[in-house]
Amino acid sequence: MKRFLIYTAKILITTILIAVILDGLYTYVFLQSKNRGKIEAVFNSKSKKYDVVILGSSRANNHFVSQMFEDKGLKTFNYGMSGGHLFEASLMLKLMIERKYEIKNIILEADLSLSNDHESDGVSAKFLPYIHNSEVIKEHFKTQKNFNELYYVPFYRYIKYDSKIGFREVYKIAAGEKTNSLDNLGYYPLSKHKNGNMKNNIVNLKPLKHNKYYEEIKNICKANNINFIPVMTPMCENVVGMNYFDKVKKAYPEIHNYENVVIENKYFSSCGHMTDAGAKMFTARILKDFFKK
Amino acid sequence: MFFNSLAFAIFLPIVFFLYWFVFNKTKSTQNALLIVASYYFYSCWDWRFLFLLVFSTFLDYYTGIQIEKGKSEKSRKFWFWLSIIVNLGFLGIFKYYNFFADSFSDLLNSAGIKASPILLEVILPVGISFYTFHGLSYVIDIYYKRIKAEYNFIDYSLFVSYFPLLVAGPIERATHLLPEIKVKREFDLQKAKEGIYQIIWGLVKKVVIADTCATYANAIFDNYTSMNSFSLILGAVYFAFQIYGDFSGYSDIALGVSKLFGLDLLRNFNYPYFSRDIAEFWRRWHISLSSWFRDYLYIPLGGSKGGLWMKIRNTFIIFVVSGFWHGANWTYVVWGFINAVYFLPLLLSNSNRNNMDEIRLKFNFDSVKVITSILYTFILTCIAWVFFRARTITDAVLYLKHLVTDREFKFQYLDNERYNYELLLIIGVFILVEWNNRKKIEPLSGKRSMLKIALAIAAIIAFGTFSDYKEFIYFQF
Repeated sequence: MKRFLIYTAKILITTILIAVILDGLYTYVFLQSKNRGKIEAVFNSKSKKYDVVILGSSRANNHFVSQMFEDKGLKTFNYGMSGGHLFEASLMLKLMIERKYEIKNIILEADLSLSNDHESDGVSAKFLPYIHNSEVIKEHFKTQKNFNELYYVPFYRYIKYDSKIGFREVYKIAAGEKTNSLDNLGYYPLSKHKNGNMKNNIVNLKPLKHNKYYEEIKNICKANNINFIPVMTPMCENVVGMNYFDKVKKAYPEIHNYENVVIENKYFSSCGHMTDAGAKMFTARILKDFFKK
Repeated sequence: MFFNSLAFAIFLPIVFFLYWFVFNKTKSTQNALLIVASYYFYSCWDWRFLFLLVFSTFLDYYTGIQIEKGKSEKSRKFWFWLSIIVNLGFLGIFKYYNFFADSFSDLLNSAGIKASPILLEVILPVGISFYTFHGLSYVIDIYYKRIKAEYNFIDYSLFVSYFPLLVAGPIERATHLLPEIKVKREFDLQKAKEGIYQIIWGLVKKVVIADTCATYANAIFDNYTSMNSFSLILGAVYFAFQIYGDFSGYSDIALGVSKLFGLDLLRNFNYPYFSRDIAEFWRRWHISLSSWFRDYLYIPLGGSKGGLWMKIRNTFIIFVVSGFWHGANWTYVVWGFINAVYFLPLLLSNSNRNNMDEIRLKFNFDSVKVITSILYTFILTCIAWVFFRARTITDAVLYLKHLVTDREFKFQYLDNERYNYELLLIIGVFILVEWNNRKKIEPLSGKRSMLKIALAIAAIIAFGTFSDYKEFIYFQF
């Protein structure tokens, strides 16, 4: 029995060693990644200067046409992340500040995402390779339930989120495969979908009275002299529970309600996401209201 | 509590420690601990079904004794049929009632008679097909005087409820497992090490092969109408490896875990995809079920001893019933039927026992023949798996039709955001490893075992699919 216990202990130690080695290897590869996603691009960048930075979910990513800002002479990048919540938007901003970005204006898409203050697994996972290399990432995740496993158990984060930061992603980074998430200055244009879902029911959504991460973004902007422009972006005609936006306005009067700037379904790819044409109309309105020269 | 879960990783060492260090005085204490552990393990799914398991155990225990004690044939028959009817009754109610009610109603509706079936809102108790078959074989063996009834309830309960085999087999025989349970187990270092090898290799099969293949197979089968021929071929191959990795991986872990407690279970898989014909495939795939049906259905029906029609009838019965055992869906029945069609020519030409020898390859024409027959058997198996995996028979037929008629052999991007061809390399490596170790139970033992274990662990950690968590397929059967 003693020999068996020693044998199993050896296997256990081997497992831990393999996990430590793989952890180091994967993290090293992620530290070289610059063209596969917005998070990697920011983490592996040095100080940048922007007139406008756009943050939020896919409703930011698909709605703010960065090039139209650039045409006005405003250096802009759309850092909206599909599937992201305010948890990730806040962390992205903190990371930019840590990287000493100089930003004049932040446009934050703050509407549906105000209804929760938890992380979006699929997006937040992309920060995790850097949890040992960035104090702000570490601190941001400290409030999460599984922080100890993610931080202290070697390779756990790569196993837990293997579909996002697992072997396939490591292989693609090592092979130098690009994604299109950094094209068009971060803006992702959508086209009209034949079978796009033009109905949405948001009756059950309620904006939190005090969204922790929204407040965090607001405070960071204030502390760093960044002009903070929170906006609600359009949704299609057939939304049940449209008074959600009124509730947001009531809870957060400083958020600009642009929900009804574009209404017609022909400008939508799906109910919550405008087509390129719709995004251009919407961006033109934002430019007119906030960046008149 | 799945074998590939953290809960099991905690549960197993605790039971192991208690078994060898605290409850190791007698076989009774060992068995009592394993019973408690088994019931706890089972109750982790749904504690309510524990009552069903205990009832089923008690029924077969009691009827077994009554059959043995029965002085008249009438009394023996009574207890025998009571056990058979109640066991199959439970299986029928929990597993097949809704299927039959639905099918009957469909039949009436198609004949113009309006009918709406009364369906039961029951969930299928995990492992019911497995422990019911344990009990049935026990009672049948007593009735035919092949074994003596077991009078120690703890020992008998452990035979039925032993946690490594409780929810997905292998389907044990009283003649094999009960004698092991009846003696005190002494720790055997070599056996325990073999157990570790099997557990690790089982995990490789489950998380590296089965779960990874599952993400691709699902993306292809769920969208087969928009897939090209190449994707559809790959979909069938991926599913073939998914179900093999899943079920044989489970069996390997079950056998390995059991070895840690000094108990040997029946081998359930013997590299089935290296079979040279369908008969050999069925001698290597889910061996405990195939042999169960052979011994308790095929042979009692007359086996292959009767005339031509009897042989044909018995072959179809055993395969169709075997298909139906897997689940209450016509797709499983058709899967069994197709396998019967594959098997029949071999039986009728008396060549179903042609390939009993080991596979040996040399640089000669015979080896080309062997490789061709292995590939041919694998293709036949994959076609049958399409019916097993598809939601309906229509889906399976359309899948195969599209595969043949589309004729586009291009790389395709799937809705799981992966390319269809991505897994070919990993499957190729897996086949090579299994081929080179086909004479052993698993590939990790032998020379440089520690290095092989390290590579297997690295594969599990780095290549395993964890986030898209899946349970074992055979738990639903």
